[in-house]
Amino acid sequence: MTAEAEKPNIITSSLDFIVNWGRTNSLWPFPYGTACCAIEFMSTEVGRYDLSRIGSEYVRFTPRQSDVLLVSGTITYKQAPILKRIYEQMAEPRWVIAMGACACSGGFYDCYCTVPGIDNIIPVDVYMGGCPSRPEAFFDAMFDLQNKIKDESYMKQRAERVKDQLEMIKAKTAEAKACAKEFAHEKVVDIKDFVAEKEHEVLKKAQFWKE
Amino acid sequence: MIVLDPNGEKLNLMPLNVGPSHPATHGCLRFLAAMDGETIVASVEEIGYLHRGFEKMVERGTWQQVVPYTDRLNYCSAIMNNIAYCRTVEKMFGVDIPERCKVLRVIVNELSRINDHFVCVAAAFQDLGGTTPFMYAFNPREEIMCIWEKLTGARLTNSFARIGGLYRDSYDGFEKDVLAALDSTEKALKDLHACLDRNRIFLDRTVGIGKISAEKAISYGWTGPCLRASGVASDLRKDEPYYDYETYDWEVVVGTQGDCNDRLQVRLAEIEESVKIVRQALKRLAPGPVDIVDPRIRVPAHKLAYQDMEGLIGRFKSVYEGIRVPEGEFYCGTECANGELGFTIVSDGSGHPYRIKVRPPCLTQFAAFHELVEGGMLADSMAVLSGLNIIAGELDR
Amino acid sequence: MKTVEDIFSALEERFGAKREMLDKWGMTVIVSANYLHNAAQFLKCESDIKFEMLVDIAGIDYLTYPNHEGPRFAVSYSFKSMSNAGARFRLKVLVSEDNLSVPTISDLYANANWYEREVWDQFGIKFAGHPDLRRLLNHVEFVGHPLRKDYPAQKRQWLSTNDYLLPELEQRLEVLGYKVIKRSKEVETNDNEFLEGSIKA
Repeated sequence: MTAEAEKPNIITSSLDFIVNWGRTNSLWPFPYGTACCAIEFMSTEVGRYDLSRIGSEYVRFTPRQSDVLLVSGTITYKQAPILKRIYEQMAEPRWVIAMGACACSGGFYDCYCTVPGIDNIIPVDVYMGGCPSRPEAFFDAMFDLQNKIKDESYMKQRAERVKDQLEMIKAKTAEAKACAKEFAHEKVVDIKDFVAEKEHEVLKKAQFWKE
Repeated sequence: MIVLDPNGEKLNLMPLNVGPSHPATHGCLRFLAAMDGETIVASVEEIGYLHRGFEKMVERGTWQQVVPYTDRLNYCSAIMNNIAYCRTVEKMFGVDIPERCKVLRVIVNELSRINDHFVCVAAAFQDLGGTTPFMYAFNPREEIMCIWEKLTGARLTNSFARIGGLYRDSYDGFEKDVLAALDSTEKALKDLHACLDRNRIFLDRTVGIGKISAEKAISYGWTGPCLRASGVASDLRKDEPYYDYETYDWEVVVGTQGDCNDRLQVRLAEIEESVKIVRQALKRLAPGPVDIVDPRIRVPAHKLAYQDMEGLIGRFKSVYEGIRVPEGEFYCGTECANGELGFTIVSDGSGHPYRIKVRPPCLTQFAAFHELVEGGMLADSMAVLSGLNIIAGELDR
Repeated sequence: MKTVEDIFSALEERFGAKREMLDKWGMTVIVSANYLHNAAQFLKCESDIKFEMLVDIAGIDYLTYPNHEGPRFAVSYSFKSMSNAGARFRLKVLVSEDNLSVPTISDLYANANWYEREVWDQFGIKFAGHPDLRRLLNHVEFVGHPLRKDYPAQKRQWLSTNDYLLPELEQRLEVLGYKVIKRSKEVETNDNEFLEGSIKA
């Protein structure tokens, strides 16, 4: 199964294409907006720039329903644990965009309280420059992310997952088998003893009746 | 948690955390409320989630290098912060800026105020569930953004003001662009009023919510539109006039109730006043220099640096050593979109600021937040929060 | 019509205040910490121009200030008059390193509460009688006071996990007249959450 899944064929690649097409065109962002970049994100959303052109206008404010974590703004040490927790609450598949210089590297706040780049806390897929990033840069980052998602192979990932699961199942089965064997062995020994005992008893009884 | 209320009855309260990443907090504020059903019994606020060390960072650069940091205080109206800072330093120098610079500063100041108030009202609507006014308010805002792009090269964090002048003079066709932006601002105002004034849902959710009396607001140090909504006609543009604000024909807008609706209506009315001021200022815009001609304060122009030895030395010294602000300490407040933005500046006479303390207008307003929401419903706290227009950048600095 | 000069002479007479010569542009007056509360009370309620609003409290560290003599720290209070528009006044208290304590004025001005917390956070100056003196801007696990001149700007400190704020909520409930019988269970932290690099991890 694993070998077949890793080889691209017409079914798996078509499936990949369909899944990726679905994923790229409805990226629901979670705007973790902290500072100036969040205002630019607001501009991106409305009227003139209109984020819904690439299917991402549906902003979700809960990590459980969103695909892209959009970190727009400076992350301070006071906020770092919260950002990490939000990232961990998101369901797979998930992507992260670091919007603006502060999220990428701390920007010009090289100071006791700012995290020098969110990649110290969570993995980042796309970095976006600018202080703050222009809406055009935001679109560019979304296109980059879409291209990245198009290269992903759903089947491959799935195969890997299945492989992992299979290995796990195998290991578990082996363990269970070993366990069962031991248990059965104990049982057999028990039964043997029991039978021997019974035979002994029966013999005794027979002898008694004989006598 | 189980508590005994003042009457001795047992209550089961639920602690509910809001923020720092919450759609209605616009940035990183956080409050923890003890809920009895839907009612907030007690609330504590926590700030500092966007504490970026403004005051530590500015001590490491020169006086001119502070300007980009001030952009990021109130990022909805960045130019106003630049101007407030430059005005304070210019006052310490004891210099007067040229007439054209004054008028240009008034124009960009008031356009930024329009921008800031639009963001506040739009976000307030968005929080209360109305998407249409959000779009209405952002259209003229985008036009002003286009002017910023042409004028300063940046959309949001402009760094336009300089100590002793401006980054550059206005471009050809500036007046026409501003007038067009003002027209669409007025149109958007009409649309917003049509959405707002007799909207039953909006009025139900904002009238009488988050009331504060004038005495209490003063005791909490409120300034700006929020204080004026409580009926105190306090505006630094009238009280301590600068840039000839007293010679323009405009009114200080005052509310009556001090509730959430008043705070938003005062902002909308202030946009109208700002439009009036900008229209008058455009008529006063006469040709002339925008910078002070003094290499000790303002960097000499590029042209001089290439042709003139004096200009080259002046530029070199001003960039590498920084300008030398007279020794002393000084506090000066300027009327910004949210209220009084003050800078306490301590200078030791060297090229670097010794200490700059920002007095953010939001901090005092957010400090009173628990008084506004306690006893109200949880959903009302969102209306209160958006009416206060807390900008995390200047709240935490 | 009284001016701020008259108020200064009244303060000089009553509390032995001195004019701060560094402020060449406005009116700044140095009072000793013992008289601060009285001076603030005087400015708020009794003086001829009443200064109803506390605009700002700023801490200053004079460690590297050239040719500075006297105590290391100072706290400066800016006041603004609402009844007499345009009048401003500043009080300044010098704080030596041996006795880092200033009386609170949060009972007079409601916003002094947060301002004083900020000065404590950034400079480590204690405010005697403050109802709830804890850090305002930095996180709870922060060690040191960052705006002091001897604190390196790039000395970073990780926070291990989010603070829960529940003790503060209980305190607020008690101020409002409630009595907590059973505490909430959500205060307990989870060891898995701690960030790498923090002191608890």
